[in-house]
Amino acid sequence: MPVTGQRERGTRMDKIARIDMGAAGGPKVTVGDLGEYAGLGGRAMTSLMVAAEVHPLAHALGAENKLVISPGMLSGTTGSMTGRLSVGCKSPLTGTIKESNAGGQAAQVLARLGYAAVVLEGKPEGDDLYKILINKDGIQVIVDNSLKLMDNYPLVEKLRGEYGDKVAYMTIGSAGERKLLAASIACTDPELRPTRHCGRGGVGAVMGAKRVKAIIIDDAGMKMRPPKEPEKYRDANRKFVEGLRKHPVTGEGLPAYGTNILTNVLNEAGGYPSYNFKGGQFAGSNNLSGETQAALEIERGGTATHGCHRGCVIQCSGVYNDKDGHYLTKQPEYETVWAHGGHCGIDDLDTVAHLDFLDDNIGVDTIEIGVTIGIAMDAGIIEFGDKEGAIRLVEEIQKGTPLGRVLGSGAAITGKVFGVERVPVVKDQALSAYDPRAIQGIGVTYATSTQGADHTAGYAIATNILKVGGDVDPLKTEGQIELSRNLQIATAAIDSTGMCLFIAFAIMDQPETFQALLDMLGSFHGITMTGDDVVALGKKVLSAERDFNTRAGFTKHHDRLPRFFYNEPIAPHNQTFMMKDEELDEVFNW
Amino acid sequence: MQHTILDQSDVVPGLEAVALHLDSDQLSSFFPLLQKGVTVPAMVGCTLRSLLSDQLAIPGDYVTERITTIFLDNRPVDDLDRTIVRDRSRVTLSAAMPGLVGATVRRGGFYAALRQGISHVAGSGAASGESGMVRLKLFNLMLAELGPLILARGLILEQGELELLLKSLSCKPVGTSTNTGQVLLTVLFSELEDIF
Repeated sequence: MPVTGQRERGTRMDKIARIDMGAAGGPKVTVGDLGEYAGLGGRAMTSLMVAAEVHPLAHALGAENKLVISPGMLSGTTGSMTGRLSVGCKSPLTGTIKESNAGGQAAQVLARLGYAAVVLEGKPEGDDLYKILINKDGIQVIVDNSLKLMDNYPLVEKLRGEYGDKVAYMTIGSAGERKLLAASIACTDPELRPTRHCGRGGVGAVMGAKRVKAIIIDDAGMKMRPPKEPEKYRDANRKFVEGLRKHPVTGEGLPAYGTNILTNVLNEAGGYPSYNFKGGQFAGSNNLSGETQAALEIERGGTATHGCHRGCVIQCSGVYNDKDGHYLTKQPEYETVWAHGGHCGIDDLDTVAHLDFLDDNIGVDTIEIGVTIGIAMDAGIIEFGDKEGAIRLVEEIQKGTPLGRVLGSGAAITGKVFGVERVPVVKDQALSAYDPRAIQGIGVTYATSTQGADHTAGYAIATNILKVGGDVDPLKTEGQIELSRNLQIATAAIDSTGMCLFIAFAIMDQPETFQALLDMLGSFHGITMTGDDVVALGKKVLSAERDFNTRAGFTKHHDRLPRFFYNEPIAPHNQTFMMKDEELDEVFNW
Repeated sequence: MQHTILDQSDVVPGLEAVALHLDSDQLSSFFPLLQKGVTVPAMVGCTLRSLLSDQLAIPGDYVTERITTIFLDNRPVDDLDRTIVRDRSRVTLSAAMPGLVGATVRRGGFYAALRQGISHVAGSGAASGESGMVRLKLFNLMLAELGPLILARGLILEQGELELLLKSLSCKPVGTSTNTGQVLLTVLFSELEDIF
């Protein structure tokens, strides 16, 4: 029987829905006020709530864990680039607090329904599988065992038959249902494809543990969230969009080539990890580059320019068609192309695209799985460069075989099972496409992030304009700790706004664009925002996350890279990771 | 489209020169080659700025504002005026890049410290002009914007590379051989908008 919770209709994001999946008699929905979480959104909401409400020693797949879903502070408004959705919990992959975010339509739609957060709590008895319908009339939790073990593409197709095309879907594939540690939560894009994933940290496994297969979000009858000062907000948004469009990264490079524009550059810098981090360059990089990818997409009738949610002006995504011109997957991101490409010694974009589709369909993190396949190659299960073998291994995950379950549990588990020494993880989460021996500073962030190895944890390259922690001399090497700290603070703040992190390029270089962002935040809430406010928010989020991790048993000794980064120099620079432990320990001293 | 065999032995002694005249829509056919890297004749022993501005004739403001990411032999460059290009140097040109690492490798960027140990150390050696070769790579926005300039100036290809290229352009083989096994290829495009 459906369980319904209802409260007054409204376009203000002023309520939190809690769904106790383990309530006696079946799932129970409670909708309440924001309380102590007033004014929060995105990562600030998920992390502060998880830190306050989840026992740090809870089993991540148990009833004590909570899955917090939160649109950003500006999501659901007319503001551009505001469509990021944060999902937070204790991570089954890392054991740390986790915030994983994605684009797609879900954040905008959920925000317009007035929910600052939807929280999945508890854990049901039995084997029933649920879907949750959220619309203007409230929330229904419905048993639907016909969805069992469906993967994301057919799952969304089936749901579309019932709920139509004017909704957003959040789903887990078979990997989430099987509670694999690399499982993601998919959010549909404007074309209702399950291509945008909260990928990192196994958040899909937590949703699966709560037996929730799909969340259908329908904002029919709802309006955009209204700003307190509409004219100011409109004007600030216009200036913000102008700033994004005139900047060479957000206005030209990303729209033309997507994030994979980085392949050539990282390879040239000698920071492109190849063959499971044995080299810093890959001979086949040209075949994988964003330039090559974009040309191929256009030639095959796809597109190299596409937004993952309505209101995106950067349009860094695309559509990748197969040789016959049929849709295969969305444009794979740089990190995906690297993980399934150079990391595995594979230089074929069609293979990478096929793997990207499989990852999205099964519902797993492309970075974690790509790195894992490379480790399996290092273990000799298949050879480096074996394209068919790589596909076969990912299909093992889809089938749920014992080997597939090992691989689907990520790089650290796979490394242990197969006795591989070179396992590129921090806090059991796989590193991404930037070798910390070449780019030392990103190694600081990998090592110290509250999230496990995460290149996006220190991604908001706007610290100069934010003046986070004061000015740093960029040419002095001792500035690396300060830079990483400042980047992590700025990122935590931007992750809370619902803004795509890619806006950072324009706000870094253009003070007027940063001011426009502040004005958007300020005029929406009817306050005056300064850079100091942004910094304070970032520090508050990081402090809560760090405190949770400490209570979960993490110490400074977990803030380290694997030893091989200190012992094995890589070509072409023949450099190891040189940051001292004592320096890493200073990152969170503010 | 047409191609002509020219005598440009004065440009690069011992090399036969091939000139192509193509429609502008064929420019993108050269992107894979330019992305992979091409060899161009140059006076080496000069500063990187001199190579870009004086020899490749790239306008100064374009160099300053648009080519924000430059590598010399895999090392990010910060100071164009104190970086010396040697014979067989590899020079890579790119627009501004996304991501933290994109900002990190940016020329003279705020995050340069994050690439400790791999940056090009400027100021080693004095400038002295002499004939040589430079391996030049163009990435991303540079392909369409600088490609015509580089192709018009000429690049050195192995005979086999040229034949493959001509085949991809549905162009008849040149049918000549050179002592060095190399040719100097110049390409001109009709109706191409001059961005400079």
